[in-house]
Amino acid sequence: MSLRGNQNQDGGGEAGVSATGIAAHELKSPLVLLRQLALELAGDSLTDAERRSIAEQMTLVSERALRLTSDLTRAESPQLHLFSLEPVNPLDITKDVRLELQSLYKAQGRTLSVKRIHHLPPVIANRDLLRRILLNFADNALHYTDIEGVVELQAQLINERSVVRLSVRDYGPYIPMKQWRKLTQNLTDVKIVHQRPLSSGLGLYISNEFAKAMDGRIGAIRHQDGASFYVELPVSHQLALL
Amino acid sequence: MSERVVVVEDDIWLAEHYMRVLRREGYEVYHAPHAIGAIEAIDQVRPHVILLDVLLAGTTALVLLHELQSHVDLAKIPIVLATNLADQIDIEDVKSYGVRRMLDKATMHPEDIAAAIRGAML
Repeated sequence: MSLRGNQNQDGGGEAGVSATGIAAHELKSPLVLLRQLALELAGDSLTDAERRSIAEQMTLVSERALRLTSDLTRAESPQLHLFSLEPVNPLDITKDVRLELQSLYKAQGRTLSVKRIHHLPPVIANRDLLRRILLNFADNALHYTDIEGVVELQAQLINERSVVRLSVRDYGPYIPMKQWRKLTQNLTDVKIVHQRPLSSGLGLYISNEFAKAMDGRIGAIRHQDGASFYVELPVSHQLALL
Repeated sequence: MSERVVVVEDDIWLAEHYMRVLRREGYEVYHAPHAIGAIEAIDQVRPHVILLDVLLAGTTALVLLHELQSHVDLAKIPIVLATNLADQIDIEDVKSYGVRRMLDKATMHPEDIAAAIRGAML
């Protein structure tokens, strides 16, 4: 596998970690969890309710891992930049994302909400890629949000109403600046596995590739009580021309 | 009175798994999803053992280990590391932080968790 643009430039030592290695690391956590839960299920000390709960968790963990493999395949596709772009209602996408992740959030005791958005124009995007970016951000936010916490899907018009910014805002633990700098480096370049706790930043790299394919960009804002990850896309003026 | 364990693990389902396993073994178990919450929990609970993940969201386990070492009373609490990076960490390098046992998440079995906690208290 040779993810475009993710090769470390400085070579040698830890910097030599390959994209395959990074992807393997990213998939290790769900596999570890699935194995542990399967071993526990095989035992005879669980109640029926616990068995049902563990079975549901295994399904949801598998789905998360499968989303990542599907995104990786898509990011690797030589046709990535040939995806069709069309006017897309961003509110519809945020609702789709909320619906798709509802079970996962509920099972983890968190809430994914869509902040009320008024008069948002369509953006020029590929529906599937935009959905995948927001799924990535919202999935990532799960790790950084306190139990019983809320993650918000937000949208706003910026740059004199020429660009829509769709954000996923989490309310997690404070991230020290040094760590934040390392984390945001991953927005454009997959770095070595250890640079970011919990994750290699592969999801951010994939999201960046998808955003670029739509002439958009991704970014992040650090708050005192969490972070926002966003994608910016140009407003579609197609309707205005009619 | 049962022995107390604080589980520091940001994956909620893995944390629940540890807690089920340890409660079945008779331990009193508390959970902290990140290092900041862990400091509070450890301070309140004064556990007999800490079961600690390495790659945490926010502040890492290493920062937590340093913090614990800076408190005379907390520095003596034995620690069990449970990590995906077991093949890259030499337990000898982290013994000075109170780490007594290390679990490789990729190969451990549920019964290994309780065994490691028991072993750490010896």
